[in-house]
Amino acid sequence: MKNESYDVVVIGGGPAGLAAAISAHDSGAKVLLLEREARLGGILKQCIHDGFGLIRFGEKLSGPEYAERYIDEFHARQIAAVTLTFVTKIEKTGSGFTVHTVSRNGVARYRAAALVLATGCRERTAKQVFIHGTRPAGVFTAGTAQHFTNLLGELPTKRCVILGSGDIGLIMARRLTLEGAEVLGVYEAKPTPSGLTRNLHQCLYDYDIPLYLSHTVTRVFGTDRLESVEISEVDEHMTPIPGTEQRLDCDALILSVGLIPENELAESLGVKLDPKTKGPVCDGQNMTSVDGVFSCGNALHVNDLVDYVSENAAVAGAAAAAYKPQKRKPVEIHISDTLLYMVPQQLDLARNNNKTAVYFRARGDYNNSRLALTVDGKEVFSRRYAFLRPPEMEKLELDFDGMGLTETSDVQFKLEPQTEKG
Amino acid sequence: MNLSKCSKKLKKRFGDAVTLSLENQSVVLRGHLATWAQVIEACQSVAEKNSAIHVVNDITCDEQTETPMRVPGFTDNTVDGAAPDVLVIGGGISGASIARELTKWKLDVLLVEKEADLALQASGRNDGEVHPGIDLGKGSLKHRYIRRANRMFGDVCSELDVEFHRIGQYVLFQNNALKPLIGLYCLWRKYHDGIEDTKLISGSQLRAQEPHLQPGTKFAIWNPSAGVVCPYGLTIAYAENAVQNGAKVSLHTAVLDMDVKNGEICSVKTNRGTIFPKLVINAAGVFAEDVAAMAQDRFFSIHPRRGTNSITDKKTGAFLHSIATVKELSVHGKNHSKGGGTMRTAHGNLLVGPDAVETFEKENTATNRESIATVFKKQKITMPDLSEHDIITYFTGVRAPTFEEDYIIERGRRTTNLIHCAGIQSPGLTTAPAVAEDVAQMAVDFLKEKQTVEQNQAFNPIRKGVPVLRKMSDEQREEMIRKNPDYGVIICRCEEISKGEILDALHAPICVPTVDGIKKRVRPGMGRCQGGFCSPLVTKIIADFLDEPLSAVRKSSPASVITYGKTKQNEGGRDA
Amino acid sequence: MTELTCIVCPRSCKLQISADKETLIVTGNACKRGAVFAQNEMTDPRRTLCSTVATVFPEAPVLPVRVSDEIPKAKIFDVMREINRTVVKTRIGRGDVVIKNVLGLGADVIATSDLLKEKAGETS
Repeated sequence: MKNESYDVVVIGGGPAGLAAAISAHDSGAKVLLLEREARLGGILKQCIHDGFGLIRFGEKLSGPEYAERYIDEFHARQIAAVTLTFVTKIEKTGSGFTVHTVSRNGVARYRAAALVLATGCRERTAKQVFIHGTRPAGVFTAGTAQHFTNLLGELPTKRCVILGSGDIGLIMARRLTLEGAEVLGVYEAKPTPSGLTRNLHQCLYDYDIPLYLSHTVTRVFGTDRLESVEISEVDEHMTPIPGTEQRLDCDALILSVGLIPENELAESLGVKLDPKTKGPVCDGQNMTSVDGVFSCGNALHVNDLVDYVSENAAVAGAAAAAYKPQKRKPVEIHISDTLLYMVPQQLDLARNNNKTAVYFRARGDYNNSRLALTVDGKEVFSRRYAFLRPPEMEKLELDFDGMGLTETSDVQFKLEPQTEKG
Repeated sequence: MNLSKCSKKLKKRFGDAVTLSLENQSVVLRGHLATWAQVIEACQSVAEKNSAIHVVNDITCDEQTETPMRVPGFTDNTVDGAAPDVLVIGGGISGASIARELTKWKLDVLLVEKEADLALQASGRNDGEVHPGIDLGKGSLKHRYIRRANRMFGDVCSELDVEFHRIGQYVLFQNNALKPLIGLYCLWRKYHDGIEDTKLISGSQLRAQEPHLQPGTKFAIWNPSAGVVCPYGLTIAYAENAVQNGAKVSLHTAVLDMDVKNGEICSVKTNRGTIFPKLVINAAGVFAEDVAAMAQDRFFSIHPRRGTNSITDKKTGAFLHSIATVKELSVHGKNHSKGGGTMRTAHGNLLVGPDAVETFEKENTATNRESIATVFKKQKITMPDLSEHDIITYFTGVRAPTFEEDYIIERGRRTTNLIHCAGIQSPGLTTAPAVAEDVAQMAVDFLKEKQTVEQNQAFNPIRKGVPVLRKMSDEQREEMIRKNPDYGVIICRCEEISKGEILDALHAPICVPTVDGIKKRVRPGMGRCQGGFCSPLVTKIIADFLDEPLSAVRKSSPASVITYGKTKQNEGGRDA
Repeated sequence: MTELTCIVCPRSCKLQISADKETLIVTGNACKRGAVFAQNEMTDPRRTLCSTVATVFPEAPVLPVRVSDEIPKAKIFDVMREINRTVVKTRIGRGDVVIKNVLGLGADVIATSDLLKEKAGETS
């Protein structure tokens, strides 16, 4: 049984894990990356559309191109990686952790002083959005349909309905259309689209695919393969309105109804999760509530752009490399109801916070809003935003060290939406 | 049975719409009513408990649409000309367990199942509870079998390598005033009906064991002999063991008709050929009445009853270690189901349900919002921490009760070479091991009238399932992977299922190379992502195993296409 | 008059475009980039195109590709037809040309992954 020791073990070889591993290595740590699939790159392997890397590389790359640039960087540094290797459990042992894995080579145990969890996210399923009716073949999440289409080269539908206007759903609407399938429409229960505006235009409107807001799929039909779906209008509480049902004949229902950070390993270590992000509560160094355990990328919160994932993961990697047990001096960051969430959720005043990246999403579509940071009621920072939408994440970089924070400080971010143009 | 009293009752309620007559030792109801609920009411009102005279329902109703039994969309001659000693119709828990018990004798046994897999209907769509029998009184067949069968479970499941946990059952009461009455009820059950393990415990004793259950519980009935088993796992294991011992199982094989002469079944027509059995066992679940009719031996009716269960994330498995349900005593109406409950399944999830809804549709397993809402409303009283948001899947099954709400386990009344194992509903999974022994004995007794039937000395009761690597220690796992590296390649991340386990399932005695078939056997896709990540991988493994293109792999039935072939048809051919 | 939604930034300005003889008049844009966007959309709308091509390698039946430069929006399905009749038979890699100057549009179809160059290992 293999038994090795590392300064930092990174779990997950997608964009977050790669960036974290590179950054931890560059900070001088002995790093091991663990990946359960055969190839590095994570979900980007199947995201063959372009639009990645605009911030990081100033280019519009496809998913594989973006991932492979990082993979090249990773290999150039000769960082240790094992693929087709699955983490079965993590134990806290002494001052560090023991990661148990299985692979074709058997069981292995890796000792780590610090862990970076870069485990990504998963899609919400049909049952999680309470789709009822029969259980035929032909109900896919967008990611599953993407896997069939882009990795296996198989067409999962000839005529489909897409539920949810999340970006993957929009991307798949275009992708399937290009491959010869008919996309009858994208149905969204919310009154506003969930995806980026550019995707609405370039994926739907360019191909005359209609978007129906405040509509949802209430039932599926078909005993073998899906034969039709029932669509209903919904009210402002997203409850279907009786009498608005219509049947649409199709062979597939493709779901893009949200992503959930994968934190089962984190939870097994006792990491505290934020109910808003469904990811760990972290500080400015991406350290979770468990000392020595760091989180990044979509496992921390679902990002809109991979560029932010890489950037955020690099912070986690460097912090994991520099990790030494020491007493924390935590202060909570509170946010107003107009913010959907903010990461980090706290700061450790025992560490440097002079260049802390803050990520947030607004709860609604706000024109000319104002974000203000107050410490003990005193405003120390503010910024105006011409336009905020929940699908588009925002990033700020702040120097918290100059704000005279203590563990008892009341730190509040307040987003004030303004209705009239200011 | 007092016929004229029943007639008066019907007349008072339904006027001249329904008539009743005693024919061939059955009470036959005829006429026409507006709703199915009225049909049920009419038939139930004349049904007599523990009577050999059964209600036969020939009432038509406005609501009822004639939906023919779903049959495989193809014909061939796979079983044509087969002349087994015993033909078992139905691959649910009854048919599978009977087939296995029959292989203890030197008999030619053929089991036919119309679906793509075993346990695809009620046997695979129930809660998996191994009942203690607390609600059963003397006189019924259910009661006759329950204790004997309950006690058999440990041995049967260890022989067949099926997950079974005797986790016990609590029935919760919130009203202390009921305690003396329930106490008497338990004593009556214990000493009169032989449910020997039952006892009352206090609310604080309950809380010490199960802190997440209803805090307002004043006392509870505790039945330590209750357990949970994987219901489809047990059915598949029984059938595999039957096959190991020489029985044949033919899937996709629907019984369409029978040739009956002089009270004897001469042949049985299926979509895969005509079979010439010496004896037929009717274990056809919701279609048991239809099979009886084909055999010209219809003396009972089945009225389908739907039940929906929800499964929640394994994380919630920590909330409960047993089976629990709150009891709300109601004075009105009979409730034929156990009223639903919350339990920790054999696989460590929580299961919530089922409800009970009468239906004329024998095969409608579509789910609906209302069922889940009803069940959760009640079960949130049992366990306040329950949340619909933890649901990962839900499913509906259709029970197959008679109007007498008891089993029919007997030789044909008019047709001689026929044994019915009908009306099997809850606790049918529990009673199956004992019922199967008796039905097999009845079959042997029948055949012995015509031929010699010897014991099968070579019978091997041991069936080994696919190894479950996630439950092994690192050292055991290391050894398994050394022997077969595929055990180290994890395909299903949620349930931690390896490629090796999937390939083992494909090489099992009954190979069902479909995504659902694999899911039922080794669980990829049973977890929180519901196959989102692993279903393409499982599809690919099956395609490689079959040496077929990916598009040839099915979810379950032959028409349940997953993909429509390659995106690139490569017409015109340009090389690069 | 034509209406367009600007997709240059998340603000999503509603643009009104009217023609005055030869020149386009764009209103509703909050910044200059909106005017440029409208100009391009009205005169020569172009898009990038990403897809896959078939390969002869069983472990990777398709290889992701894209066009090296934006192509006229109206030509997307014509280019898809070219992509669909192409089969990759050598282990080419990221940036390698799959179809040179596709349909004479001045853009190549290029591979976007080194997938075929990686050790022909197991995919699952």
